Amino acid sequence: MGGVYPLAFLVAGTEATIADIRGGREMRVRLSGMGLCPEARVTIRSANQGSVIVAVGDARYALSRGIAAKILIRETQETV
Amino acid sequence: MRKRVRIALTGNPNVGKTTLFNALTGSRQHVGNWPGVTVEKKTGRINRNGYDIEIVDLPGTYSLTAYSADEIVARDFILEEKPDVVVQVVDATNLERNLYLTTQLAELGAPVVIALNMADAAEARGDAIDRERLSAFLEIPVVRTVGTRGDGIGDLLDAAIREVKTSPHHKHAVCYGAEVEAMIASLVDALAIDRALTARYPRRWLAVKLLEGDENVLARVREGPASIHVQNLLSSIDVDGYEASMADKRYEAIAAILPQVHRTDTRGATFSDMVDRVVTNRYLGIPIFLALMWGAFELTFTVATPFMTVIDTLVAWLAGFATGSIEPAWLGSLIGDGIVSGVGAVLIFLPNIFILFLILAILEDSGYLARAAFIMDRPLHALGLPGKAFIPMLIGFGCNVPAIMATRSIEGEKDRLIAILVNPFMSCSARLPVYVLFAGAFFEARAGGVIFFLYVLGIVVAVVSAKLFRSTILRGESSPFIMEMPPYRLPTATTSLRHMWSRGSLYLRKAGTVILFGAMIVWLLASLPYGVEYGSEGSLAGSIGHLVEPLVAPLGFDWKVAVALIFGFLAKEVVVGSLGVLYGTGEESLSGALFADPNLSAATALALMVFALLYMPCVATLGVIRKETGSWRWTGFAIAYGLAVAWLLAFAVGHLAPVFTGGV
Repeated sequence: MGGVYPLAFLVAGTEATIADIRGGREMRVRLSGMGLCPEARVTIRSANQGSVIVAVGDARYALSRGIAAKILIRETQETV
Repeated sequence: MRKRVRIALTGNPNVGKTTLFNALTGSRQHVGNWPGVTVEKKTGRINRNGYDIEIVDLPGTYSLTAYSADEIVARDFILEEKPDVVVQVVDATNLERNLYLTTQLAELGAPVVIALNMADAAEARGDAIDRERLSAFLEIPVVRTVGTRGDGIGDLLDAAIREVKTSPHHKHAVCYGAEVEAMIASLVDALAIDRALTARYPRRWLAVKLLEGDENVLARVREGPASIHVQNLLSSIDVDGYEASMADKRYEAIAAILPQVHRTDTRGATFSDMVDRVVTNRYLGIPIFLALMWGAFELTFTVATPFMTVIDTLVAWLAGFATGSIEPAWLGSLIGDGIVSGVGAVLIFLPNIFILFLILAILEDSGYLARAAFIMDRPLHALGLPGKAFIPMLIGFGCNVPAIMATRSIEGEKDRLIAILVNPFMSCSARLPVYVLFAGAFFEARAGGVIFFLYVLGIVVAVVSAKLFRSTILRGESSPFIMEMPPYRLPTATTSLRHMWSRGSLYLRKAGTVILFGAMIVWLLASLPYGVEYGSEGSLAGSIGHLVEPLVAPLGFDWKVAVALIFGFLAKEVVVGSLGVLYGTGEESLSGALFADPNLSAATALALMVFALLYMPCVATLGVIRKETGSWRWTGFAIAYGLAVAWLLAFAVGHLAPVFTGGV
């Protein structure tokens, strides 16, 4: 596929790599501390109308649609 | 002479800092399975090998750049108080993310010791961590710990003491690549003239924080002589690009080490993931949540009933016995009418309170609490509250004081203020006695429905108020939701029961202090002036009640209720305690006495319950509102708004209820 999508568009089970994070620097620095930064590999564990639970390594984060729309990803593999 | 050492416990949220703190110091600080349990620093002391060690437990944080009040507590302690050793508690099952904070601590030049915590959980799933190599790479001692069992705490203390004696401290820096490093070097040079600042913090660390846009560091540099030069440098570059590549380099540095020290199997979906697919499901999430809440409500009231009957009978017998047999008569009256009736009226509800706290403990320990916040984010966001405010709201069902403290983990200042102001409307355990007493006396079979209505009313008033504040005095968007979801854990009977006890026993202690005190004051007021008929209108209590009566008369409350409400300000249970004293019921139960009072009808009872739910927060809650908002104005606002809402709704309910109940 190779395209870049907001994380909010993905369905549960998708693996992806973060390409970019839009939004203010404050938000990006904060997400970095949690392991959500460009090149991080993430897996969608649960998706619900744009809000998601995403796995980064062994951590699980719940993100509302507002944030999930600002995290842009490249799909790496599709499971399920 | 004993040498003093101060150790700070830091680390990401929910990695077990407080569990380790409790194991180290023998304390019993509250722990739970969700991020944000600890919001204030806690101190404990211990002696080891001739050292007098002070251990400070800090709130969790993902980095040294702070975004919420609890993170600020953690950051400021490490930066300003400069503890002798920083023990970073690391979740061994999530090494990579945890080490990000380690790189920041190392850059700061703080003496660090890593406690590789939850090591048992990591080993159980087949991870192998080579601690010696990890320690060699990081130049930081790494100690294996299991906080829940107290494993490794002696080694940890020894390593910390050794680290204090080691000086000078090593500098382990992440290399950020040529372009960023050149910029760091320029900033380091520019900062040199700000002697005051660079004496306190390493220049390289300041430079890195400037590039990350850390507001706190930026503000300090602006105050100093390096301000203009630094700002010129920063405006010459694309800061956003720098910051992204810096985070990237940090993780790269970690990724370079990890494969050499850490062996782990690739893992698919875990048990927690599968539960989350159901529990946070678009269609099932909210119904499951509501079903759990209903179940909790039912348990709180049905299971407790037989225990309550026993206590009720006992209290009534004891009060009658004391009044009738203790000489002189005034002493018998003080003990029987005052202490036993007043405190007893509140103790009857002990079973409800303990069950309620047990349920809250199970919610906290299981990991579901964080999910509930996530599920409720969407509906709450629409009303102007962030989903994170939901955890304090649920805790508010227990007590508003810790609930308002828990708002510290909410990032936006306005978000947090709204969450604080609406929290007192969440019906805390102290209001439960008022409901059970009046609903039981006047509504019999429908009592359960009436009590449920009051809980729902509290929630509705809270969210409508949030919406109101958001669209008037505190305009703006609520911040987006982001929260770590802890793995589900099966709560063990011992920990949940211990949590129940630690919070429930506060209620018991309150019964022996504030409520006892309130009951005795009311008894005194009801007995004076000397020779007056006990609890009659001629007593001091009667005079006070009559003074306030005009204000509450439109709600249908007489002077006795007015007195009870005034003293309920001490603690809301005192409403019940005071009525117990004023009715001086002897062997008859208080609910019977209330039912027999011609001044009280079902409609007034309902209005009274609504009023007790909503009117001003109790003294303890006001104290914590003042402390957390730092403002008397907002504290005054909480009182005025609460009284106004309570009066209006009690008035409406009192006048509308007869329409529905057929003029009872």
